[in-house]
Amino acid sequence: MNVACDWAFPLVWAQQSELDSIPWLKWIIVLAVVFFGIFPGIVAYTVWGERKVAARFQDRIGPNRVGPLGLLQPIADAIKLITKEDLVPRSADRWVHLIAPVLILVSAFLVLPVIPFGVGLAAVNPPSGLIYLIAVSSLSALGIFLAGWSSRNKYSLLGAMRAVAQLVSYEVPQVLSIVPIILWAGSLSMVTIFDKQVLYGWFLFSPPGMLAFVTLTIANIAEVNRTPFDLPEAESEIIAGYHTEYSGMRFGLFFLAEYLSVFAVSCLGTAIFLGGGTLPWPLTGEPVVTLGGGETLFAMLLLNLPLIGIFMAKVSLYIFLMFWIRATLPRLRVDQLMAFAWKFMVPLCIINIFISAVWYECVIRPSKPNYLLGWGVTLPLVVVSIIGVLALYRSSMKAEPVELTTGSRRRSVVRSVS
Amino acid sequence: MSTPTITRPEWSTVIDPVLQKELEQHVLVTSWDKMLGMVDTVYNWGRRSSLWPLGFGLACCAIEMICTASSRFDIARFGAEVFRGSPRQADVMIVSGTVTKTMMPMIARLYDQMPEPKYVMAMGACASGGGPFKEGYNVVSGIDKYLPVDVYIPGCPPTPQALLNGLIMLQRKIDGERFTQAPWYRGDVERDVPIPVLGPDLIDVRLLEVTAEKTAQGLVEAREETLVKPTLIPAPQPEVPEVVEAVSDAPVAPKAPSKLDLLRAQAAGTAAPAAAEGTEPAKPAAKPAGKPAKKVKKAIARPSLVWLGDAGLEELAARINTRFSDGTATIIQAGLLIPSERLVAVCHYLRDDNLIKYDYLASLQSVHFEDCIEVNYHLESTTTPGKLIQLRVRTSEKEGEGEVPSVNAIWRGADFQEREVYDMMGIRFTGHPELKRILMWDGYAYWPLRKDFLEPYYEGPTKVFESRVEDGRHFRSEEFNPYGSNTKIPKDYTGWNTLDSGDDTKGKTLLPTGVEISELGTDQFMVSMGPQHPSTHGVFRMNLRVDGETIVGLKPVMGYMHRNHEKIGERNTFLMNFPFTDRLDYLTSMGNNFGYALAIEQLMGDEAKPPERAEYIRIIMAELTRVASHMWSIGFLLNDLGAFFTPALYAIEERELILDLFEWASGSRMMCNYFRFGGVAFDLPKGWIERCRGLVNNRLDGKIDELDRYLTKNEIVIDRAKGIGVLTAKEAINFSTAGPILRASGVEYDVRRAAPYGIYDRFDFKVVTGKNGDVYDRYLVRLEEMRESVKILKQACRDIPEGPILPGKKSYQIKVPAGEAYSRVENPKGELGYYVYADGSGTAYRYHVRSPSFINLTSLEQMCLGHSIADVVGILGSLDIVLGEVDR
Repeated sequence: MNVACDWAFPLVWAQQSELDSIPWLKWIIVLAVVFFGIFPGIVAYTVWGERKVAARFQDRIGPNRVGPLGLLQPIADAIKLITKEDLVPRSADRWVHLIAPVLILVSAFLVLPVIPFGVGLAAVNPPSGLIYLIAVSSLSALGIFLAGWSSRNKYSLLGAMRAVAQLVSYEVPQVLSIVPIILWAGSLSMVTIFDKQVLYGWFLFSPPGMLAFVTLTIANIAEVNRTPFDLPEAESEIIAGYHTEYSGMRFGLFFLAEYLSVFAVSCLGTAIFLGGGTLPWPLTGEPVVTLGGGETLFAMLLLNLPLIGIFMAKVSLYIFLMFWIRATLPRLRVDQLMAFAWKFMVPLCIINIFISAVWYECVIRPSKPNYLLGWGVTLPLVVVSIIGVLALYRSSMKAEPVELTTGSRRRSVVRSVS
Repeated sequence: MSTPTITRPEWSTVIDPVLQKELEQHVLVTSWDKMLGMVDTVYNWGRRSSLWPLGFGLACCAIEMICTASSRFDIARFGAEVFRGSPRQADVMIVSGTVTKTMMPMIARLYDQMPEPKYVMAMGACASGGGPFKEGYNVVSGIDKYLPVDVYIPGCPPTPQALLNGLIMLQRKIDGERFTQAPWYRGDVERDVPIPVLGPDLIDVRLLEVTAEKTAQGLVEAREETLVKPTLIPAPQPEVPEVVEAVSDAPVAPKAPSKLDLLRAQAAGTAAPAAAEGTEPAKPAAKPAGKPAKKVKKAIARPSLVWLGDAGLEELAARINTRFSDGTATIIQAGLLIPSERLVAVCHYLRDDNLIKYDYLASLQSVHFEDCIEVNYHLESTTTPGKLIQLRVRTSEKEGEGEVPSVNAIWRGADFQEREVYDMMGIRFTGHPELKRILMWDGYAYWPLRKDFLEPYYEGPTKVFESRVEDGRHFRSEEFNPYGSNTKIPKDYTGWNTLDSGDDTKGKTLLPTGVEISELGTDQFMVSMGPQHPSTHGVFRMNLRVDGETIVGLKPVMGYMHRNHEKIGERNTFLMNFPFTDRLDYLTSMGNNFGYALAIEQLMGDEAKPPERAEYIRIIMAELTRVASHMWSIGFLLNDLGAFFTPALYAIEERELILDLFEWASGSRMMCNYFRFGGVAFDLPKGWIERCRGLVNNRLDGKIDELDRYLTKNEIVIDRAKGIGVLTAKEAINFSTAGPILRASGVEYDVRRAAPYGIYDRFDFKVVTGKNGDVYDRYLVRLEEMRESVKILKQACRDIPEGPILPGKKSYQIKVPAGEAYSRVENPKGELGYYVYADGSGTAYRYHVRSPSFINLTSLEQMCLGHSIADVVGILGSLDIVLGEVDR
């Protein structure tokens, strides 16, 4: 496979044109166009999409006055947010207050360079891409916490407390559901993971893979604070959570960061489970294998255009799933959320790692993959483990609430006396 | 411009017109001003297309504002559906509803917190100028007294279309703005609004000195001397002796009612002989006051339509008298007068030892008479319903002297009601754990429901005021008041220096113990939730003490929507009061009408017996209201649980269909004002009943099933609602909760069955009860109740006869006999009661509303302790309060 070479973006360009003596110019172009143009654009229209989709779910029309189909709505919003007064509360910690949204946005942006949108289209390809990705995405927890803390607002603080607890908890199942992929791909590099999927088919198409995909999706939704895990900014409870005190474009940055992370986690899910830009099973290797040989710019384009298209289609579906969930489900409570993470997701993910090891033994390691054996062994294992963990979780949840409430009630009496 | 020295010949020639045109089309010729104009275009377009409203609702108008976001109107088309809970992110403040004095500092603060550029829309008559509640003592007559308003939207409430039109008007206004002249970019323009202070009255700090000066001059007192005297005395004063007569008239009790009373009456000098005589037929023998002796018709003495009965009451009185000492219970106008020192003992007896266990305190109110203030208790039994009795306790009429023992320890439902009486009349309830003002704020100078309190805009005892009709021109109330605003401060007030804009006079007295307001401790801290909060269903506030997120203390703070319904109701003629009842629980105007109509019909007796058709129409309207209200309630409960508006908007869709029917029949979507004494205002239009049948038979059931299917079995809903906010049956009764809250706790008490009114006894329906009394059961009860309502509707739509809709001719002059009535209906929120004391004149002498939302809130603290903030929101949602009714 000649595609399985180093595809770090600048390298490819350097190979292609020897004339190109200033690769940093390319970098600037990438940064300016892709990171400050395309991604914010995608985010803006994700917001528009959400407003339209939510409207349809609610039997409404949604924005349609500002431009055709309301397509100019995000632009109007942006103009308004930029020209709006930027307030910093008098008692807020000014600098931290100003830095926090930037930090969150940076964290959301930093996820994107390692995503292989197509062949050779990962901006960087560090050997430990996945670890890097997890590490930078958890920066947002810090940003959120700083935002909540510096605002000097009780709702913000509550939101920040919730956010930190939630993000830290859901990072565990998020990482754990990625472990099977690392196991199967034998690498932490996102590009290698993509390559392996071209070879073996999507990682989704195996019982442990499906389970890991579902847990990853749940953890992803929690990581980006969306319904039913939108506790840090639960509007009906704590106004706007950690960004209650933010106005103008600084609030816009939160908005941007939120949707950018939605986009980023969708990219992550797509890249590591849904085979990136490849087609489903029978045609998995198709565009990459047939078109991957050429090294000219034209060949690159020819290869990458369909790849990016398919990639974006998958990402859109993934994002749509999140919209769908948001439009239909109520919100969990903090303790339920934590219990769900620690008592359900984490055990299930750990068990799944073992099951995926079985899959590895049956399908990936042997020189001649035995799919039938793999499915036959792992599917029952997955079903049994889901049922088992669910039953355990249910029984633990049934016993708990009564105990909890009486306990804290008693405590409250003692406190108020003292 | 380059130097003009070099001129190329071809440039100086005359350009041919085609080229000229081309040039103009393709070359940008502009000036600095025009350039800025283009910037303006973009700048204005951006702002006009992205107007995010502050998610902030005050009263009835807020409901229409929410409907504007619903599928039929869809404010999202304009990109304005992003209702932000935080003022920091909002662009336009829609002041949707009556602005009260209690709320005004909050609104000013919210406005100041909004970033520039910001806009204010005054939605509805109240926000624009005080509206129907203008004369209230707690109402700010128009938000423009404090905030700069950009758009006024007329209507009461404006329909969603009107709000959309207002939005378009605002957009037009923005279109005309110039970037260079925008006041928010100019340092010399002060845009912040100084926050008014709740002192003895709402004080505008901008006018502090003038106000102090005018107060010192005693202008208000002087005005009242001149203006009020002639108008005040004739109406309420002469009726008081009648009560004393009634005391003496009571045939069963020839003895003097109470020694205390007698002494007081003697001190007053006027009514003493009447009380001593006790002769039976001495009707209006002594009429001391100046009113010409007009024969006043008297209503049958009964506390309510369904009650214990004369014989039962006599027996009960006898039993109490033997149990305690003689003279403990005296029957007056079918109520038992109890001396205040024995009240607690008698109440204990009635609750625990009596044959009929009076375990439910239905209503508690007070009446200000000339010689005493009477506190009234309506007691009901949930085990043997329909046996309502009324207790009376009398105390000194003098301001600040009245004292009555608290029954809070017997019925905890008395908690808020006693506080309300204290707030309104100034009666102290000894033994009440937390006797603070509940609707007004601490430090307010007056006891507003006392008959001798005159509001700042007071003009006369009855409407229509002369100022409105004299000489064909009218005067604004502001012209009469020396302050030029709805303000009244006692002459001797001196604490001007203590007034502080940062002072939270309303909430600081109601802190859960053990926490400082400003402290942000690591262990526990206080969160003030509301009055502006997306999930408090209006301007309700909770002072929470939280430990992490666990609630360890909760104090409800209310009164932000107190718009003086009762005081205004005492000046309205009986008929005129109908539209005001609409605005109590603005989601259920038909139900409110029903209760009020029943109260007056009880006084009028057979004269106002509704004909068959009217009875059916009433039931149909009331049940449609129930479906609409429960739909709303379930939708917004889910919203509180975090569902992103979808269930709410689904529910609103059905509600809209019902509102269509209302609009068709009564002319108004929300404020129907449809009932009349003895019937309804108009007959049903042609085709109405068919359409209603279609809705009832073919649609509603399916839609209720749909809600059921989507929500009932939803894992998260179950997790969030089961076992949360539990109220046991005993607690529910003791807290005087009503409606779905009471029934969800397993108490089968429904006024439609317990004390049937109208023609409810003819219909086949089930009283739905729950088991656990948690949020989930309340949801289920509402869901099932909708089904039962549809069942009733099907029967009613099937059986409705043709015929008249009023017993007599339509009349604007309603003669209501003197007497006392308490009517109760099962409103969607619970038992809605109207207590009316009529003195035979054109207005009610005392008018009180037993509001279910208000009393249901008594149990909130109990339900919330130990749960988390998220649960509090859900619990409050399950109580389904409407602030118009809570604060009245």
